Amino acid sequence: MEFLQFDSGLWQRVVSLLKYDPASPLTLATGFFLFSLFVFALGYVIIKRRPNLRTWYVTLFSLYFYYKLSGLYLLLLCGVALSDFIIGKRVARRLQEGRSTRGCVALSVAINVAILAYFKATGFFVGLIDNLYVDGVLNFEGVVVPAGVSFFVFQSIAYVVDISRGTIKPLGRFVDYLFLLSFFPKMFLGPLVKAKDFIPQIEAREVNVSREDFGRAVTLIAGGLLKYAVIASALGALFVNPAFNGELGNSGVVALLAIYGFTMQIYCDFSGYSDIAVGVALMMGFRLPDNFDAPYKSATITEFWRRWHISLSTWLKEYLYIALGGNRRGSLRTYLNLFLTMVLGGLWHGVGICYMAWGVLHGLALALHKVWLKIIPWAKKTGAEMHPIVRFASTLITLHIVAFGWLLFASAQQRPALGEDLALCRDMIDRIATNFHIADIVPALETSGVAIAIMCLGYILHYLPKRLNFKIQSLVTRSGFIGQWLLIVVVIWIVMQCSAMLVAETGVAAGLPMYADY
Amino acid sequence: MKKSNVNIRIAGFTLAVILGMVGLGFIPSFKIFGMDFERVDILASLRADSSAEEAVADYTANFDLLAQELAIAEAHINEADTMADPIPVRYEWIVERAPKVRRERLHSKDMLPALQYIEDFEDFDTLATTRFDNFIAKLANGESVRIAFMGDSFVEGDILTCDLRQELQSRFGGRGAGFIPADIPFSTVRKTIKRTSSNWNTYSVMKPKEAPDAVRERLYISGYLAEGRAGATTRWQTTDAYTLLDSCTQARILLISRDTSRVEVVLGDTLRNEFMIAGDERVREIYVAGPVDDIRLRVLEGSVMCYGASMEANGGVTVDNFSVRSNNGHAIFGTSATVNRQVDEMLGYDLVVLQYGLNIMQQWQRVYAKYRDQVRDMIAYAESCFPNAAIVVVGVSDRWVKNAETNAYEPIGSVDALTSYQRAAADSCNVAFWNTSRVMQHLGGMPAFVSNNWAAKDYTHINYAGGKRVASAFADAICHRVLNYLFEREEAERIEAEQQAALEAELQRQRELELQESLRQQVDSVTPLIEAVGWSNNVNNTEENNEE
Repeated sequence: MEFLQFDSGLWQRVVSLLKYDPASPLTLATGFFLFSLFVFALGYVIIKRRPNLRTWYVTLFSLYFYYKLSGLYLLLLCGVALSDFIIGKRVARRLQEGRSTRGCVALSVAINVAILAYFKATGFFVGLIDNLYVDGVLNFEGVVVPAGVSFFVFQSIAYVVDISRGTIKPLGRFVDYLFLLSFFPKMFLGPLVKAKDFIPQIEAREVNVSREDFGRAVTLIAGGLLKYAVIASALGALFVNPAFNGELGNSGVVALLAIYGFTMQIYCDFSGYSDIAVGVALMMGFRLPDNFDAPYKSATITEFWRRWHISLSTWLKEYLYIALGGNRRGSLRTYLNLFLTMVLGGLWHGVGICYMAWGVLHGLALALHKVWLKIIPWAKKTGAEMHPIVRFASTLITLHIVAFGWLLFASAQQRPALGEDLALCRDMIDRIATNFHIADIVPALETSGVAIAIMCLGYILHYLPKRLNFKIQSLVTRSGFIGQWLLIVVVIWIVMQCSAMLVAETGVAAGLPMYADY
Repeated sequence: MKKSNVNIRIAGFTLAVILGMVGLGFIPSFKIFGMDFERVDILASLRADSSAEEAVADYTANFDLLAQELAIAEAHINEADTMADPIPVRYEWIVERAPKVRRERLHSKDMLPALQYIEDFEDFDTLATTRFDNFIAKLANGESVRIAFMGDSFVEGDILTCDLRQELQSRFGGRGAGFIPADIPFSTVRKTIKRTSSNWNTYSVMKPKEAPDAVRERLYISGYLAEGRAGATTRWQTTDAYTLLDSCTQARILLISRDTSRVEVVLGDTLRNEFMIAGDERVREIYVAGPVDDIRLRVLEGSVMCYGASMEANGGVTVDNFSVRSNNGHAIFGTSATVNRQVDEMLGYDLVVLQYGLNIMQQWQRVYAKYRDQVRDMIAYAESCFPNAAIVVVGVSDRWVKNAETNAYEPIGSVDALTSYQRAAADSCNVAFWNTSRVMQHLGGMPAFVSNNWAAKDYTHINYAGGKRVASAFADAICHRVLNYLFEREEAERIEAEQQAALEAELQRQRELELQESLRQQVDSVTPLIEAVGWSNNVNNTEENNEE
């Protein structure tokens, strides 16, 4: 039983584990989270029928979760919540009195955008100034961006705007709003939650989780863990990163495979983490919206944005596209609005050439597709309406446009020096254009066969019909407590083995989700 | 549908999962299909870290460890400063006190020949640490200067550095080949020194697994550490392959003796001395002043770890070549900051050159972001170990590769890209940068080097003749900076002299004015008397004359 014996430093280590450690922020895919979820659940069981107490309990735990995730930026989160809670009340009062709410909404937007801009753009401009040799005194490198800042800022804007549009009533108590904003499963990477959908859940007298819900939650968590911590991690560490860093030679075939690999990696990473979040929330009886719907099945770019990061594209549509005027000012203005929405959406990921180019790419594609729909009578909006062959071809084209967009993303993530932003992108395209010999696939399979196999597996699973998802879900539900327990234990075991192997292989432990920077 | 038990279920489920994972922890590690399955330990973060020593073939920077090691170094250095310390760090043997190196001190810019430099340094020192400027000023003022030239196989065998040394010593004084390891685990040719060694166990920083812990934890940036018991011996003999290598006046042997040991130092064939080295963890120095052109070290008793010896003059320029084959710079992270810092305290480095990248370059690869981050870490590491030294990152050299289809050589296509990333690293770390590839391209690029017999036929490695060209350009760049410094100083002195002269002229004028004033006052005080006497008419007349 030596396995269960600990030395005298145990207590100190427990205490230091409970504190915020910038080197290992708490995510939903860590052992610490499993333990804290258990401790949380013990209390949750006792107060399940007392909404008031429950709200306080979950909120306090959420705040602690955010503290473990991002340290004292906790105060920023509370500050945003307080300011928009007060502004929201004021907006509602003015609305009742029939006065203009524009000023209040503008104030809220200004505060939130200022916070976002400070953390997102300052680094870029400081770099720019430094590069112009004015420099020396400015240094932004030490400033850490608060985790999930864009997510809570976006939700907070949406809350105030929704009140001013009259679609929701402001929440009565500050703690309710803090709960809405800080609810821990969605804290890091979303999905973005609409106040309209979430407020009724806070106010419900009792939260209930049916057998089906629990089965679905377990399926989502297991699948999410496999996607996030196995497929995405292995693909990134074994193949995509070395290929992008040039460690696998300069073959065009490898470059192309690496782009496909990155496309799968970013999807698995992001959607896997989202699935875990949705699953954990569901276990507690809260429903978060689905964030992904097999996006690479899309046959058109419009369809892609209905399947990828759904909560964000909905947000962009409702609060940016419509604010710009939407489609109410003529078709030319509609295209321009679409384009601008995507460019701003791109710049939100980070200020720089790559993200801008990514936004331009998607904006142009969306606008052109709208034009196409208008002038070609037989054009279809989604793949489901198409002939299978046309659908196949369109899906392939859409996938490649999207994949090229991700290459721009990867280029930005290399944290390039100013002026070299597109170096990776240029390099990859150059390799594919000038050094593409299909025979290179053989050495590529020899050196990274496992990773390529994992990638293929990812794509195959992705293109399986959705029915299968439901089948698996109902199977998990029917397998009962023991079956679900076994599933999760085995999945966690696989995840731990995988991360140990990756550490042994590359010497680097897995980091945060890729999307954590945004 | 059962509803009431669901919240209990979440608690029960998580508990079951935790217990399940703890249970899995009883399954030991096993192996299937060549894959290693480790024992899972979900309670790992509650345990003391047992996997302290990991296999290191590939080093990464560990700045926490660096800080600890530096703290130890500072403690050691302070210990050496206290008078009460019974164990000496330095063992001296003064055969004859050498006179300070004679040299023509550079009083003005005219004393350096006019030169056509190819490539200047780019000093990114935006934090105004002025370390690079200090290095130049020391050269210009004739102070003694020490340069650590760290590199890969590009400078192995003292290629490039031997010419750089000669160029600098002929202009700024100094003698000797600098630091030479006690032993190297493979055979090399080095023209600038003759080293014969035997009975050492020598370990390289590039093969850390072969080295015992005691050696691995004490590696210096030289990359090699020789461990020897009674009978281990090394003989260093200067050569005359280049001018100024011989007639060295002092030697410094660097070693560690953890337990008390006895060593013998022999100069030439006749002079002999013995040292009892008291056991201590610190790096120790045997300092020999005298005719040291042929010096031998032999371990008589106990066990000694010897880094090597430095052959030098008392003053002037010393250039140490620290080349480690197939190192891309990362090996510095495998050296001990404690040792580096202590040696720096003894020898006092003024410039550290980081010349790497040849082993990282891939054909047509244009992104070296990861390597740039590593260069940044290397700079930070070197800055911590050598806090008074300026740092120069030297860009990668030109390289051509053979096209498999045409069998002709073509540019590797990634030199400029890698250079720009190295430059970016230097920029962000506020240190200086020097562009090697541009110099080589100015001289005709790799094809010209090969056709002139300045480089090997692999179109990658330059030889001594090629090194001479690059070294000249490097030395010219330094001289150019020295000239600029002298020019600016003269200019400042001239301006100061002018200002002084102007000030004195002004003072003189004021003094004259004061004199006139006092004369006037005297005249004024005399005037009534004159009027009283009755000469006033005359005075009035003169005034009227003036008005006309």
